[in-house]
Amino acid sequence: MNREVILKLLKSPAQWIEERTGVVAFSAPLLFHHVPRSAKWWYVFGSATLMFFTIQIVTGICLGTMYAPSASNAWESLRFIDEEIPFGWMLRALHGWSSSAMVVMMAIHMLQVFMHGSFKFPRELNWITGVFLLLTVLALAFTGQVMRWDQDAYWGLGIGAAIVDRVPVFGDQMRALMLGGPIIGGETLNRFFALHVFILPGAAIALVGLHMTLIIKNGISEMPKPGEIVVPSTYREGFEERMKKTGVPFFPDAVQRDMVFCGVCLLLLVFLAAYYGPFGPGGMPDPTLINTNPRPDYPFMWIFGAVSLLPPASETAIMLVAPVVGIVILVAVPFLANSGERAPSRRPGMMLLAVVVVMAIVALTWEGVTSPWSPVMDGWSALPTPTQFVKGRTPLQMQGAVVFQFAQCRNCHELGGFGGKRGPALDEVATRMSPDQLIRQVQQGGGNMPAFGKNLNSAQMTAIVDFLSTLHPENEADSAIPGAQLPLPIKSPLTMNTVSSGAETPAGIHSR
Amino acid sequence: MMSPQTYRLLACVLVFSAIVFAFVGCDRLHGKPTEAAPTVIGSPSWTQSTFNTSCLGCHSKGAEGAAIPLMNAGYWKVATDAHVIQVLSHGQGVSMPNYLDSDGGPLTSDEIAALVKGMRSMWGAGSLGGQGAQGGHAGQGDISATVVAGDAASGAKVFATACASCHGTGGSAGSVTDPMYLRLISDQGLWSAVVYGRTELGSPAWNQPMPNHPTGLTTTEVADVVSWIAQARPVSKAQGQAKVQTKSQPKNQNASDTK
Ligand code: HEC
Ligand code: HEC
Ligand code: HEC
Repeated sequence: MNREVILKLLKSPAQWIEERTGVVAFSAPLLFHHVPRSAKWWYVFGSATLMFFTIQIVTGICLGTMYAPSASNAWESLRFIDEEIPFGWMLRALHGWSSSAMVVMMAIHMLQVFMHGSFKFPRELNWITGVFLLLTVLALAFTGQVMRWDQDAYWGLGIGAAIVDRVPVFGDQMRALMLGGPIIGGETLNRFFALHVFILPGAAIALVGLHMTLIIKNGISEMPKPGEIVVPSTYREGFEERMKKTGVPFFPDAVQRDMVFCGVCLLLLVFLAAYYGPFGPGGMPDPTLINTNPRPDYPFMWIFGAVSLLPPASETAIMLVAPVVGIVILVAVPFLANSGERAPSRRPGMMLLAVVVVMAIVALTWEGVTSPWSPVMDGWSALPTPTQFVKGRTPLQMQGAVVFQFAQCRNCHELGGFGGKRGPALDEVATRMSPDQLIRQVQQGGGNMPAFGKNLNSAQMTAIVDFLSTLHPENEADSAIPGAQLPLPIKSPLTMNTVSSGAETPAGIHSR
Repeated sequence: MMSPQTYRLLACVLVFSAIVFAFVGCDRLHGKPTEAAPTVIGSPSWTQSTFNTSCLGCHSKGAEGAAIPLMNAGYWKVATDAHVIQVLSHGQGVSMPNYLDSDGGPLTSDEIAALVKGMRSMWGAGSLGGQGAQGGHAGQGDISATVVAGDAASGAKVFATACASCHGTGGSAGSVTDPMYLRLISDQGLWSAVVYGRTELGSPAWNQPMPNHPTGLTTTEVADVVSWIAQARPVSKAQGQAKVQTKSQPKNQNASDTK
């Protein structure tokens, strides 16, 4: 057998496939399409995002083989992966860190595209698919946090549900749709699992495909130069001509920079994963309705910071309207300015905007990370009510002190110097708030305090407010102004039995 | 400018070292979650730390804390293991969480039994002695720790003689027949409030001698007065038991991770 025959034999299966699928013909442009010579290190962020996405898919599939998506087993299965599976913890750490890294890289990529005006004609749809990719990836990060099914997951869901709840008219239905019922339960996890492993990745892969197709179709933009103006009617011809003349093939020329950058990213990722380990799972999932541990994952930390700064009166409006406005603005960007100058130096207003947005996000993230809000998670069950707050209290007030522990108020509020610092210390709250105001605060929450409304029944509410009304310096009267509270006149048991207890309003307070 | 070859080499080296780094010596890396240190269930340190993180917030000692103090020899003298295990497993009233895992709580039945045993050995043997609420007294202390059914009509008389001075109209201690209060406390809670009291807070322990009741109260008298007080609890809601949970509350409302 001579050389020729061997070569032919080797070649023919490939040819056979190529003839029937056109795979090579199809993918050749992917590899060899010409990109501008000026495309240098600025252009690596998109590739790095894609790399992180690939890592997410691979590690995600591996995790999917071991994760138990049921409310009773999820947490245990994560522990199992961490402790029993060889390299299991590394897998989780990579998946977790790569998710945050992907969001960050995407943001940088987007910023670069914005600053270079690359979204202008003919690449408007590149930008818009990118915006939807960003949303999909944020949704993936959020649903991923829920997969841990620990206390952070509860917190995230709680806040999410609270935001959805604020929607006028359909709030309840939307909440039920999101949680699979009125409260966070096993159905919720199944729902989010389906989203996280089927629906959202499917959407993301489709969008990535679309995004890449558009990139091939429209080419990669050149480095912006002041004075080189985008004119839609002539842009395409000029661009194609320049590519033919001065462009370089993506493979093997441009790809090298991408490879180096991805390599550095990968190293960094592995370092983060190896050094800091996997995210969570935090405390055992706790079916407490009001979860007091407020730590979202990093991509959402700035939202957390922003929400904490909102004045309570405007919260609903801002929480519901701001995301919609934000998305509309992002989608509208390429339509608002799809021609003209691309160079940053000729678009100072836009640069200022970008800088302000970046600074705001960084500052809000900082706010979210550093504020001394960390509640004391076991405050409710570990910190006894100090003597001065139980001495001389009536039995009802005493029960109020119990409810104060039971409802985990202590995790966020100090009494006698011990407790969470998330809300103000309540040692002297009766000097600033009337019983009515106290009821409103506990029922409706506000600021960063959850609304306890339906989670406390009328007796609990009455008792807790009665207890709070006694929290003042010793020489002052209880806040049931005017005058101190008088002991209840004794009633006959017969009349007591007829007392209506059905009303879920804490009306009892004023009848004292 | 670097040549393409250099680029390629650099990229290969980076990717390769990343992979090697990831999988060599994985077991010794800093980020590997440490397995929880094994704690010996039932050891004094386990008991103390479990109690401190899970119970102390409500049950402390002396005048501190909102619910009945458990670091209290008087309580352990009367309360049987079976009673405490029952309460701990399934909760009591509205605010005492249930801790048994099959009830949705964080502790297994073995851990609960060990916790009760540990608490008894720490506080029951008089180790806290006179510091406990009723520790030092040599009273009768023979009133059962669990509720016994009583007769409300006779209870009214007991209340008038023994309790009304403090809890009656104009009394300094506040009403115990306020329906809101009664919706929050169980009959067992009332029972314990009468039997053990909170002497540091001025609430007498009726298993001890009192100035005008030299022998304290008998089991029957306590049963009577508790059933008289419990009558004032709104029945529509509570059916005689103060288990008033809103329907959206899961059973194990609060018992958190104590492991
Ligand atoms: C997640 C943490 C958290 C929990 C749990 C919590 N709070 Fe708050 N609370 C806050 C924060 C934060 C504020 C400040 C709100 C604001 O800025 O408007 C606050 C404010 C208050 C205030 C007003 C204090 C003032 O001086 O303005 C009262 C009263 C109060 N909380 C009572 C309670 C009670 C009672 C409970 C338990 C039923 C409770 N809180 C549970 C976080 C919490
Ligand atoms: C010397 C005054 C005094 C007498 C007599 C007295 N008590 Fe009390 N009692 C108090 C005080 C003070 C409190 C509040 C401290 C506390 O809640 O433990 C209290 C609290 C209570 C509580 C509420 C305990 C809780 O934590 O929910 C009940 C129930 C109670 N007493 C029942 C009785 C009964 C029944 C009698 C009669 C057998 C009685 N008391 C006699 C002073 C008294
Ligand atoms: C949120 C506050 C809270 C926490 C935390 C709590 N308890 Fe309780 N506990 C109560 C209340 C309130 C009662 C009385 C309930 C009633 O009778 O209505 C009670 C009752 C009890 C009783 C029964 C007393 C009797 O009447 O005989 C025991 C025993 C007890 N608790 C043990 C514990 C132990 C052990 C822990 C920790 C594992 C614990 N509790 C944690 C609030 C709490």
